[in-house]
Amino acid sequence: MGVENPAEQAQVLLRTRLYNPNFIFTIFSDSPGSNYSKLKYIMSSSVTEACNNSVLLLGPRGCGKVPILELVIKDLLQEYPDMICVVKLNGLLHSDDNCALKEIARQLCMEHHLMFSKMASFDDNSQFVLSMLRECGLAHKTVIFVLDEFDLFTQGKQRLLYSLLDAMQSVTSQAVVIGVSCRLDADQLLEKRVRSRFSHRKLLFLPPSQEDLQKILQHALLLPTESELPSQYVATYNTKLLNTLSDDKFKDIITSLCECDSTLNHLLRFLFAAVCHMDTKPGFLSLENFKTALSSIQRQPKLEALKDCSILELYILVCLRRLEVKEQETTNFNSLMKEYKSVHDSFQTSDYYARNVCLRAFEHLLQRQLISLVDNRGHGQSVEFRPVRLLISSYELHQGLKSYRSCPAILHKLIDRGV
Amino acid sequence: MGEEGNPRTPRRATRSSLCSTPNPKISTDKSKSCNQQPLTIHDLAYRDESSISLDDLISNLPGRRSQIIKLLRLLGPLDSPMLPFFVYGGASTGKTSTILQIFKHLKRPFVYCSCITCYSPRILFESVLNQLSLHRRDESNDYSSTNRCEKPSDFVNLLQGALRSVVDSLKGSMAKSSSKKSVGWARGKMVYLVFDNLELARGWDKSSNILPLLFKLYDILKMPEVGLIFLSNASPDTYDSDTGYVEPIPVHFPDYTEDELRQILMKDQGGPKLYSSFLDVVLRPFCRVTRRVDELLTAFSSLYQIYCEPLDDLGIVPNEDMKRKLFSHFQPHIGPSLNDTFKAGSRLSSEASAKKNKWKGVAKKNGVCESSDEIDFHMSACAKYLLICAFLASRNPATLDASLFDSTGGSSNRKRKRKSSEKSMEKKETAEQDLLLKGPGTFPLERLLAIFQCIVSVEECLPDEEAQEDGGLEGESWTNGLLSDVLLELSSLCNANFISKGGSCPLEGANRYRSMVSEDMALKVAKSLKFPLAKYLYRG
Repeated sequence: MGVENPAEQAQVLLRTRLYNPNFIFTIFSDSPGSNYSKLKYIMSSSVTEACNNSVLLLGPRGCGKVPILELVIKDLLQEYPDMICVVKLNGLLHSDDNCALKEIARQLCMEHHLMFSKMASFDDNSQFVLSMLRECGLAHKTVIFVLDEFDLFTQGKQRLLYSLLDAMQSVTSQAVVIGVSCRLDADQLLEKRVRSRFSHRKLLFLPPSQEDLQKILQHALLLPTESELPSQYVATYNTKLLNTLSDDKFKDIITSLCECDSTLNHLLRFLFAAVCHMDTKPGFLSLENFKTALSSIQRQPKLEALKDCSILELYILVCLRRLEVKEQETTNFNSLMKEYKSVHDSFQTSDYYARNVCLRAFEHLLQRQLISLVDNRGHGQSVEFRPVRLLISSYELHQGLKSYRSCPAILHKLIDRGV
Repeated sequence: MGEEGNPRTPRRATRSSLCSTPNPKISTDKSKSCNQQPLTIHDLAYRDESSISLDDLISNLPGRRSQIIKLLRLLGPLDSPMLPFFVYGGASTGKTSTILQIFKHLKRPFVYCSCITCYSPRILFESVLNQLSLHRRDESNDYSSTNRCEKPSDFVNLLQGALRSVVDSLKGSMAKSSSKKSVGWARGKMVYLVFDNLELARGWDKSSNILPLLFKLYDILKMPEVGLIFLSNASPDTYDSDTGYVEPIPVHFPDYTEDELRQILMKDQGGPKLYSSFLDVVLRPFCRVTRRVDELLTAFSSLYQIYCEPLDDLGIVPNEDMKRKLFSHFQPHIGPSLNDTFKAGSRLSSEASAKKNKWKGVAKKNGVCESSDEIDFHMSACAKYLLICAFLASRNPATLDASLFDSTGGSSNRKRKRKSSEKSMEKKETAEQDLLLKGPGTFPLERLLAIFQCIVSVEECLPDEEAQEDGGLEGESWTNGLLSDVLLELSSLCNANFISKGGSCPLEGANRYRSMVSEDMALKVAKSLKFPLAKYLYRG
């Protein structure tokens, strides 16, 4: 089933690009002072000069640490074929030393076409890894260890890090250990014996600047002129897109996007949503698409949850808020019901329900996580005795009530009086 | 949480049921499970010949139009990679059924796992792998999974292998399908992994990083042919953004509005006109309490019968006059049923919910706590006494035990009666407040047994004073029994959750107990024993 529509084809192309950030980061590879060139220098020197190295890539999540590292590794593999062997570990998967060593052994076996035994013990595996490192060193083959989520490897005894870094102290081995972490203090988490064996090289990755953002936007969204897409479509698409990008309203959208999160991943998610909303009929990205994408990315879950509440649930929330204003140290369902009753007594509301019904509504609120039980202790107690608190600020509650359709006027009055 | 009234598909079509019934022919002879055809790659998608058009899809799921369109856009055209997205919305807003119906419409291969049925990481991992490797657990393989997989690292390795083989065979069949034009085949070479009820995974294990793993799975796998979809009834901000958290694209399913609820409830009703006039009456008041489809359905099913009672022919089209008549017949039922039908879900809380409503005077007029004085289950006399003792021990302060249960048999408590001065009233109020906040207190086993002994010994001598009581003889037979019998009764009361056994006290080391019964219940039990409970109850 071929795709006939050029717009659909373009959409698939854009989605593929945005799915895999490696493409986006290729624009960083040319500039001289970039992290890319620094990292490449470190790694290639260790390949050519047969020395050991270790480096930490630090920076907030979604700033391109791993994509740039992968670009570097890809380039090095092309430049020095058969001289590099890559072992990748992830802290989420291999934070357990035993498991990590097994995975290293497995990947080394895969790389060198050896039989891997699942039954091998920790000791066997560590012996194997050490001898592999020695052999690789003798054959002038560099082993690159990539430890993603590096901070998770520092939990526990750090035996893995110690044995890796310790093995690198010997002259025969030839290895690079690269830690990737979103914790900027990742090197402080190391034990003393590990830290002393670690070269304190750190590369810091930061969110892109305004100029970079413009470059990235064009790089990610412009369609290539030499492809199977009809050239006329590509030309109109690109001119329309450039017009949109230079629009002031578009710049406002980007600014409000970066205000809450300026990392690249966030930007890519936004662009992906915009591409998803692209209409295949005209097949061009319009300002409207970006606007809807922004509103679909930036959500206010608490307000949405408030909108979903029934009137009775709103009553309970307002009562809880009033109790909070009264500064009672603990509140639970029973004191809530007392407040609810007193509200009813003084205003004669039409929404007065039995305790069972309120308890059900109370449980709904717990499920919506608009309120929560204060502690997890006291499991023996039934829910109505356990202290609760609001998980929503008074401002949000105010806003939510205002935007709620057909909210009883009495609730506005109650909350205004409370605040 | 589904849209009710989709007769064509099982409401929550679990993948296992789907796999075992790929077409109606096989589902008829379920007994011969060994005769089932081996699964093929196309069983990962819905295989019905009948396909749902987009219009059918939207009309099948009233009120979900914008969500369906948004999801379809995010899923994109055939074979386009996607970033993971996160569907959230309250319970019973049609998240699961919308996703499943969309896949039925698209006929793309997918794997569905719910964290309700896959209640631990291991079972979740194995369920995904079994479905991907087209493995069916049955007698021939001792109901075992393809691989035993406990650790996340093993899971990722196995998953990569399984996904590769699935994607390869999908590509292979794509090449063939152009020549053969097969109807029931899966479309495209993308595989989607759907994880339902993700909010449950938050509570699995504090130390395990299963959620970061799932959220980062697309980053770890780096396979553009795999799409990840998460369904949850908790919004994304309630997931702790610990290390390893990647935000997926959010899609919100709001609760149904009143009009949408009407559309949903009107589906598949015998007499549409009659039901519509019924909804005119009930929907608005009920919507003020809850807008959940599942709760409304259960509430309405019994109410509708009451509404129809005066009618002989249900297919009738009611005119204005009859509507008015029906309404006047029906109106008195609405108010009580509002309070009656929404009983709290769990047994514990429904039992506890009747607690102390006498003091509060809240639920006096509702019909929930029946005024009947009988307890509606059987209990031995010993257990009844224990229950009362536990209730007393939970309510009364321990310091008063001596004065309440001295050898004179509680007669001294009449001396305590004083004039209610301002101060004591105040005191009483704070004590009541305390009770509301703290709930019943805890007590050690020794105290319970001591009170038990006191009460039983009093009961033994009581028959002389109150001649009409004949429980003395009956009482004697078990009060002289072994202590172990009493302990046995106590443990069965604990099992029945009348008394809860708490953790041990750090100072004393012994277990502490707490009575979970309401005052009404205790009074009823006391009445059945003709035991003067009110006399022993200390109030402020």
